Amino acid sequence: MKEDVQTEENKSSFVPLIIAAGVAVLLLGLAIYIPLIVAGLVIITAALFKLFKDGASEKYAERKQIEEEKYPLESVSKEKLGLWIFLASEILIFGSLITAYLYVRISSGSWPVATQTHNVILGMTNTIILLTSSLTMILGLYSIRLGNVKGLKICLGSTFALGLAFLGIKLGIEWPALISSGFTINSGLPASSYFVLTGLHAVHVAVGLVAVGYLMFRASMGGFTSSKHVAVENIGLYWHFVDIVWMFLFPLFYLI
Amino acid sequence: MPGIKLYIGIWLGLVIATVMEVVVRSLPGGASLIVLVISLIASAKAVVIALYYQHLRYDGIRLSALPIAAVIGIVFLAVSAAMTITMGM
Repeated sequence: MKEDVQTEENKSSFVPLIIAAGVAVLLLGLAIYIPLIVAGLVIITAALFKLFKDGASEKYAERKQIEEEKYPLESVSKEKLGLWIFLASEILIFGSLITAYLYVRISSGSWPVATQTHNVILGMTNTIILLTSSLTMILGLYSIRLGNVKGLKICLGSTFALGLAFLGIKLGIEWPALISSGFTINSGLPASSYFVLTGLHAVHVAVGLVAVGYLMFRASMGGFTSSKHVAVENIGLYWHFVDIVWMFLFPLFYLI
Repeated sequence: MPGIKLYIGIWLGLVIATVMEVVVRSLPGGASLIVLVISLIASAKAVVIALYYQHLRYDGIRLSALPIAAVIGIVFLAVSAAMTITMGM
């Protein structure tokens, strides 16, 4: 019995608390003392390293849940449930910002015409790029479920490249063109709302790229099999969420 | 798990819907109608991605309650904001 208790204790991770503390230090740095940002980043990086190390062995996926713990989601693993709770909080973040944007836009007397401010073709291209990256991501999961590691590697590489292309168009072409035309974050509500929302989305894409890079690294080390691929599924859920957010940002800023 | 043909078919549908959004924008008609149609297309795309790429259709309605609850919260916030605008509160 004592051995069982010890085993259960070993499968409880303290890493989420460390990440939360790191984020708190980082935000404190943003608010009152800039050097704390570095301390926060160091804490977060160290915790993520530990998380990735634990994730590589999928040690938290091994524990069998008793029936009472599963209710009312008997068919859903606790890793996936945790990810969905995180995604629900992300819905609240983006939803609040989009609502604030709509509030400001509707209550403003005048607003620049979307198609005259933003390049619709670039926006549509980026939308298709992100949709394609979602396809390659889900095909990667499909591949590894069939035990096709090579297929997974190709799909992850494609997802990574498409994510990079999205950021390249956004940060390398669109933003410089807007800024050079005087459409900067300080030039009024239309610009600041655009840069805040698309900037936050770009940060999420960048975080997703780090996560996909981690999957690529693990795949190259032979870390996934047809029965061991929890990380591919969960990071995929996050990637598709980032895609969903863009499905709303694109029409809001480029079409309407 | 769905087959590869379904995933590619959904991707194709999403790309066509994206092109439709751009086309609808340039059609003659009332601004309100255009905004409504584009909003419906965007929402449909989001729902399809969640149902099929995020597998909510196969994971059961109970798991879907989580994102649905978050969306309801946001709708409540949006309605409150809209009432504040229209009623001048």
